[in-house]
This record gives sequence, C-alpha cells and structure tokens, in this order.
Amino acid sequence: MNQLAEAVGFGLVDAAVIALAAVGLSLQVSVTNFINFAYGDFMSFGAYVTYAANAAGLNFFPSVAVGAAGTGLLGVVSNWVVFRPLMRRKSRTLILLICTVGLSFIVQNVIVMIWGPNAEHYSVTVGNALHLGPFLFTPGDLILIGVAFTLLLALHLFMQNTKFGTALRATSNNDDLAQACGIDTGRVVMWTWAISGMLCAVAGVGLALETNSLRPTTGFNELFVVFGAIILGGIGRVYGAMLGALVIGILTEISAMFISPVYSGALAFTVVIVVLLLRPQGLLPGRGRSA
Amino acid sequence: MLYFIADLLALGAINAIMAVGLNLQYGQAGILNFTYYTFVAIGAYVGAVTTMGHPPVPASEETFILQWSLPWPVALLLAGVVAGVLGLFMVLVVIRRLRSDYLAIVTVSLGFIVWDLITNYVPLFNGANGLFNVPYILNGATASEITYTLEVFGVAMVVLAVCVWVVRSIFRSPYGRVLRAIREDDVVAASFGKATTSSRVWAFVLGCVMAGLAGALLVFYVNAWNPQGFLAEESFILMAAIVIGGPGNYWGAVLGTFVFVELLSEIERYLPNFGNGALVGAGRAVLIGIVLIVVIRFRPDGLIPERWLRWYRVPAGGGQGGPAGFQSPGAPRRRLGWPRVGQRGEI
Repeated sequence: MNQLAEAVGFGLVDAAVIALAAVGLSLQVSVTNFINFAYGDFMSFGAYVTYAANAAGLNFFPSVAVGAAGTGLLGVVSNWVVFRPLMRRKSRTLILLICTVGLSFIVQNVIVMIWGPNAEHYSVTVGNALHLGPFLFTPGDLILIGVAFTLLLALHLFMQNTKFGTALRATSNNDDLAQACGIDTGRVVMWTWAISGMLCAVAGVGLALETNSLRPTTGFNELFVVFGAIILGGIGRVYGAMLGALVIGILTEISAMFISPVYSGALAFTVVIVVLLLRPQGLLPGRGRSA
Repeated sequence: MLYFIADLLALGAINAIMAVGLNLQYGQAGILNFTYYTFVAIGAYVGAVTTMGHPPVPASEETFILQWSLPWPVALLLAGVVAGVLGLFMVLVVIRRLRSDYLAIVTVSLGFIVWDLITNYVPLFNGANGLFNVPYILNGATASEITYTLEVFGVAMVVLAVCVWVVRSIFRSPYGRVLRAIREDDVVAASFGKATTSSRVWAFVLGCVMAGLAGALLVFYVNAWNPQGFLAEESFILMAAIVIGGPGNYWGAVLGTFVFVELLSEIERYLPNFGNGALVGAGRAVLIGIVLIVVIRFRPDGLIPERWLRWYRVPAGGGQGGPAGFQSPGAPRRRLGWPRVGQRGEI
C-alpha cells in the first residue's frame, strides 16, 4: 500500500511536467489546428537555454525565465517564418504536420551543434527526499508541482478573465468568425505560440530536473507522452489536457510496480491508441472544440 | 572509390524500393506513415531469422525465434509477406476511425511500441544486441567484397523493377485514380461510391510488403542488424526525402531518397570529424529540415511534381493540369515550372 502511495506521488511529479507541456501544446493545437511534432524539441531548447543561462552565472529561477522567454521567441519566430505563410495559403494539415517534422530536425540538431550530444546536468540540487504522509517527495519535486500548479492557475485566470483570453478562446473556436468580429487573429496566433513556448520551456526544465539529465533528445522522447495526455483529454482542449496528464503520469508510475519499467512507455502509447480508437473525442464529455 | 560507387548503387537500389513503397502509401493514398522503418525492420528480422539457422556456436548469447535455414529467395518473400500482414493488422485497427494527422501520431506510437518490445524482450530477436552473422546470399561467402556488392545490387534492381512495375500499373489503373481521389478528398470519393477504406488498406499493405522486401535485402547485404538502426528518426528522414523529391511521383521519391537519405549519409562518413563529434550528422539533419521547409514553402509539389508523369497530362483544353477535383483544394493552381510571384497565395 505504501508502495502504491509512493507511485502515486511520483506520478504527480510526472503529471506536473506533462501537464505543463500538454496544456501548452493543446493551446497551440486548438488555435492553429495542426499537431506540432517540433514541440518536444522546443522543450529541450527551453531546458538548454536555461542551462546556458545558469552556467553563465545567473541564478536558477531567473535562468528558467530566460529559457522560457527564449522558447517563446522561438515559437513566435517559427510561426512567422514557417507556418504563417503556409496557413495563409491554406495548406493542408498534412503539409503543416510535415513542416513541423522538419522544424523538429532543425531545432534538435541545432541543439546538438551548440551544446553537443552528451548529457548535461543542472547545477542545482533537488534536496533529500522527505516523507509527507504516505508520499515521498524531494523539495525540488514540491517546487515543481507548485510552479506547475501556479502557472496553470494563472493561465486559467488569464483565459477566463482577460479580453485577450476571450479573444484566444474565440479564435480557437472558429477563427474565421473571430476575425469577422474584429479580433486580430494573427496577433492571437502569435501570442499563442509565445505562451505555449514559455509553458513548454518550463516543462522541459522540469523534465530535465526530474530525470537529472538533459540530452538533445530529451524533449522529443517525451513528446509522445505529451501527445498521449492531449489525446486522452481531447485534442485542443486545455482542461482535458490537464486531466490527461494526471492519468498518464500516475498510470505509468503505477504500472512500473507490476511490469518492468522499460515497458512503461509502450504502455502509455497503448493507452493512447486505445483511447484514440474508442473515444476519439477524449475522456471528458463532448463539448464544442474550445480552450 | 570503385567500392564506394558499388556500395552507393546497392544501397541506392534498396532505398529506392523503400521510397517506392512509402510513396505508394503517402504520395498516392495520402496515408502519413511515420513508422515505415518499423516494417523495414520487421522484414530485416524475418529475413535474418529464416536464413540464419541455429546459432553457429551454441554458447554464443544470440537468442531468436524460428532459426530456420531457408534459401534466401524464400526468406525474401517471407519477409515481404510478414511485413505486409503486420501492416494489414495495423492499418485495419486504425484507418477506419482516424483523420490523417491522428493516424500519423498512432503510427509513430505503434513504431515506438514495437521498438520497445524488440529492444527489451530478448528471446524474440536478441533484444538491443540485434542479430549478427546473417549468412551471405549467392556466392557472397567466397566472393570478393565488391563482387558481392554488385550482386546485391543486381538482386535489388530486380526487386525494384518488380515494385516499380506494380506501382506504375496501379498509378495508371482505375484503382490508382480512386486512391488519388481519396487522397484529395475522401468524403467526395466516398460519395461517388468508392470503397475508401479498403482501397487505402491495400495500398498501405502493399507499401509494407515493399518495406519488408527492402529490409530483407538490407540484412542480406550488411549481414547484421540492430534495433538502433530503426529509430523513429529514420522514418522521418525517409518521409522528408519523399516530400522533397515529389510525393505522388515515384521518380521524385527515388531521387529524394537517393540524395537525402543516402548520398548525404555516405558523404558524411567520408568527412573528417570536427567540432563536438556529432556536428556533421547534426548538420545533415538541419540541412534536411531546412530543405524540407523551403521546398514545401516554395515548391509544394516537390522537386519532381506528380504532374510530370505521363498519365497526369490531359488533352489540350482539358482544364488546368488535371481532372476536376484533382489538385488539393487549397493549393493554388499553377502551370509547370517554378512559381511566379503574385500567383502564390491565390486560391
């Protein structure tokens, strides 16, 4: 029983990271309407920029902010250079998808060119594990969960209570109609890329902290778990993505108790496929596509 | 140098088989299969375990299933059949319910699952260590390296010729037209009474059979195999090469694969290592990414567009470049040649 509680605890930490990434990706997919295979590499990019800023002498939390800003900028630039011209031409989803694969090549291998293929570590320590009731957390884990919770709450308030949040939700619901209502959808799309880039940079840092190693492929390998979360939650639905992240995170940790942990990735993918086949609209009850 | 060219030819022919197969799936049927290399891997493993016999030294740690020692042509066909059957299972599960972009995610996920199983479950295919000591075909055990390379090239060319013939026949047949109609708009095709699901299923299976054949030839050629060669990245690069070369047109697919999958990696092998050791390989991937995006941006039909094929041409006055509903609804209608400013962006 104790073991189960610990697994749930680890699952919560996983879920915090996955939720950040999944919400960012879900936000972007809901607005731009295509799936981004480069998103995992954006995560690595954010983590590496954080690493570089930290190595250059900045404290850890300001470094994360630098990493987030850098990745937000990367998102905006790739939207500007790659996706905006294609979206204007009304290219098919398939073509945009292939473009994101090309972008993924570029980002991942530029990281290799700059920082090399070997694993890096952050110079921060996560502290000793401590028991909290039945759970087992390090202080680093707690901070991670806290940060994820705060960011997601802030995003929720931003989406529900600001004018821009409303515009974003309108654009994701129907961008032609939103445009007809006088919303500058181009600007909304740009800021969506920025916000989703920032979220995924924080997720990338969390991922690197949690696994205690940072490789150019770190984000890409996590990408499909993130896909799992957003598919579980219903593609393009931000709150569903949080739920999906929770399910995937806890499920993979609990499954590690019963089957060899090397198969936990395969298990997550199997869950994804089964859900996609049986309930393609996601776990939550049906509702219009909106954030 | 001579060996280099022979090697290039042999691998080129094998890669061309993959290109033709994947192009049938993506270029004709519009199925985005991001795990094509999984089927190549399956073909390779089947080709290996059906010809290797029992491990030569009982004490050697190799464990794998079957351990048959069939003649290689039978093994080759068997590899194609097994890859095709697995492709059939996979596509039957997913194709009915999913839109093309979710299909892409599912294919990648399935590839990861298969890869995880092969790498971690040792009794099946010797796990992450892969297989080695796969026997030579023909007189490879005694012939010189270059002769063997040329022999493999010859065999691969025969297989390639058969594959190209099959694909060409499909391209020109009513079935090929149905496939392309489904690719452009499956709802419209279905409303004309075309069997959209089964048409795509068979195109997918045929593409997988070709992957299996190519995989078996590859394993006969290099005599060893390892799951590390089948990462998702390989499938992505192959797909990128086809999009660059020109999906829909098998010549474009073959050209793209030759240049971007093979030539670049061969050149990479002969470049001196500098920087952090991975710089050259990373540079190749960055180059592929940039070319891919530039081609999609400025030449969306690829370097050798589909309409250069003879069947595409229609009699004079027969419309702009194809039968009605033939071009993607969003793509601007263009004549041959390079895009001109001012035409872009118009629908």
